[in-house]
Amino acid sequence: MDRLDELRGPVPPRPHDARAIAALAANPGCARRAVLDAAGIDKDATATHLGFPAPFGQSPFAITRGNVFEALVKESGCAELLRLLREILGLPIPLASYTDLGDVGGNPSAHLRHSHTRRLLDRAARDGDDAGTLYDHPLLRLDIAGHTSYLEPDVVAFRLGGRFHIVEIKSFSVIDGQAEPDKVAAAARQAAVYVLALRDTLEELGHDPARVSHDVVLVCPENFANRPAATLVDVRRELAVLRRQLARMTRVGAIVDALEPGLTFDLVPDAGGAPTRPVADLREAVRGVGARYAPDCLSTCDLCFFCRDEAASEGSTDLLGRQVRDALGGVATVAEALGLADGSLIPDEGQEEIARLLRLADRMYAEVS
Amino acid sequence: MSESLDDLEERINTLRSEIRRAVRAREGALARSLRAELRGAERAWDQALAAHEPTPDEAAPDEPPGSLLPVREQVHQALTLLGVPAAGKMIVAVHGALRAGSLRGPQLTSLRRDEERSFRTSPFARPYYLCAALTDRLSASRGLLAVSTWPLEKRVIGPLSPRVDFLTTAIRVAEHLLRLDEPAEQAPPGAQRLLARLAQNIPGAAPYGTGTPGAGAAVRGAGPGVVPGFAVPDPAVVVKAARAELAVHADADATARAEIAGRARDRLRDPERLFGGAMLTLARREA
Repeated sequence: MDRLDELRGPVPPRPHDARAIAALAANPGCARRAVLDAAGIDKDATATHLGFPAPFGQSPFAITRGNVFEALVKESGCAELLRLLREILGLPIPLASYTDLGDVGGNPSAHLRHSHTRRLLDRAARDGDDAGTLYDHPLLRLDIAGHTSYLEPDVVAFRLGGRFHIVEIKSFSVIDGQAEPDKVAAAARQAAVYVLALRDTLEELGHDPARVSHDVVLVCPENFANRPAATLVDVRRELAVLRRQLARMTRVGAIVDALEPGLTFDLVPDAGGAPTRPVADLREAVRGVGARYAPDCLSTCDLCFFCRDEAASEGSTDLLGRQVRDALGGVATVAEALGLADGSLIPDEGQEEIARLLRLADRMYAEVS
Repeated sequence: MSESLDDLEERINTLRSEIRRAVRAREGALARSLRAELRGAERAWDQALAAHEPTPDEAAPDEPPGSLLPVREQVHQALTLLGVPAAGKMIVAVHGALRAGSLRGPQLTSLRRDEERSFRTSPFARPYYLCAALTDRLSASRGLLAVSTWPLEKRVIGPLSPRVDFLTTAIRVAEHLLRLDEPAEQAPPGAQRLLARLAQNIPGAAPYGTGTPGAGAAVRGAGPGVVPGFAVPDPAVVVKAARAELAVHADADATARAEIAGRARDRLRDPERLFGGAMLTLARREA
């Protein structure tokens, strides 16, 4: 892993949060992201230094809204949540115990909280039904490419009939049973990270990891009111993607070995932490690792504007979205596709089929316009 | 009245010019006494003017007379009504709904710290202190306030205690509304809203079932203007439903609470028993 430290420069690796890990699963094909994340590089600082600051971060309004809704759901010993769980999972009335794992007596160190979480989860997995039901603020741990990340789910893991469920509280609303698919997908990916972390924890403690249910309880405001409603979301697919992606990150060595020796993303920060590395130099370095831009990146990756700019300057078909890119397999740029369509370019070997389709499309387009 | 107002204004003007003269003549003592007189006259003018206004309180309708009490008294009132440790938000809601109080959340933030400081400088000098609820690790539970005169068993929080305290809160609020209802007095709408909010999360307490989709459909058939979850629940039904669930949890909770309280008695000294111990010092003492 020395090579990764070299790539990062003399700064501590950035810990991954669930959001970042989930975003990894969103674009598994991107080598740039895999390398930067495996090395724990501060992508936000990199993007800002390159002149393409990330557009999202999180809006303070969104954070406040999220926190208020979460507080509402968890108020009075998770009274709202208990009602929801009794409705959708048939939680028996006597199971109402609530344990705040975040409360370790004024000592907020991650290590202590994690061991407290482990101890209580171990007891819950061992004991009968009277061990506890709701666990608020658990602190889980996931090893990612050799680094330990602490994940603090703003969720409650609870047990029912010997199975643990992850509860994910999100403040986007579900209107008439429908929510925005992007947001549900993002929530499911994030919840999958927690499921994975909880399974790892249980496995370490010597319990069956399958006791963590792949059905995640997603709690959202219902319709136009602030009243919470719960839905079960199956995250098996997200789990599979995530596991593959994490395995790939541990094997990131293969990608790293293929990089030029001496390549680094070090920002050369001065004493005040301001980056001093020449921008052109850094740009070359970042370009040294291939990216796989897709329009979805705009909502998950800090480097998205840089990659979009790069894709646009190359006229890459990536800009047009995944479906178009896949349909134009073997044709890398928009100019090439247009050339094949109007016949000004002779198709290479293997491009005949796509060239025929493009010419057909061009003819039809000429007829209708 | 208007004459006295005119008189007062004239007097204020004379006083001002006299003060100016006194200051110019460097007669400090005279100027000071004149200033005091001026302030008195101005106050009288203010009062006379207020007497003219038909409804002087309209400008500040959210400042009812109850707010003359200190914050800690108001919080004590609300906690005594509930009888269980409560979060600041619940205290504000209950006080606002049932006592027509004007507590605001931010007023409570430093309360516990202030009480602790007061207790540490002169222990047991006040008849009661607003103190912390203790967790099973004997530390102060986050955000929960309690009253120091309650028995320790009531102030500790076991795993089932949040639910038990929630149900007790609902019962107390409902009983309070029942008491109001008896002399055919209309309960304040804020109180009914609070009760509706609490009742929603108690099985069998909300009007029209438990709030399942099927129940919602039934409500839609029940007539216009009835919104599921917003209909006013019957306090008596709420009390009955909450008691029913409470009976399920009561024994287990009492056992857990007794155990924690026993531990707290053994290991904590007075200030820590009220305001929570730091876990590290406890661990050191155990070692």
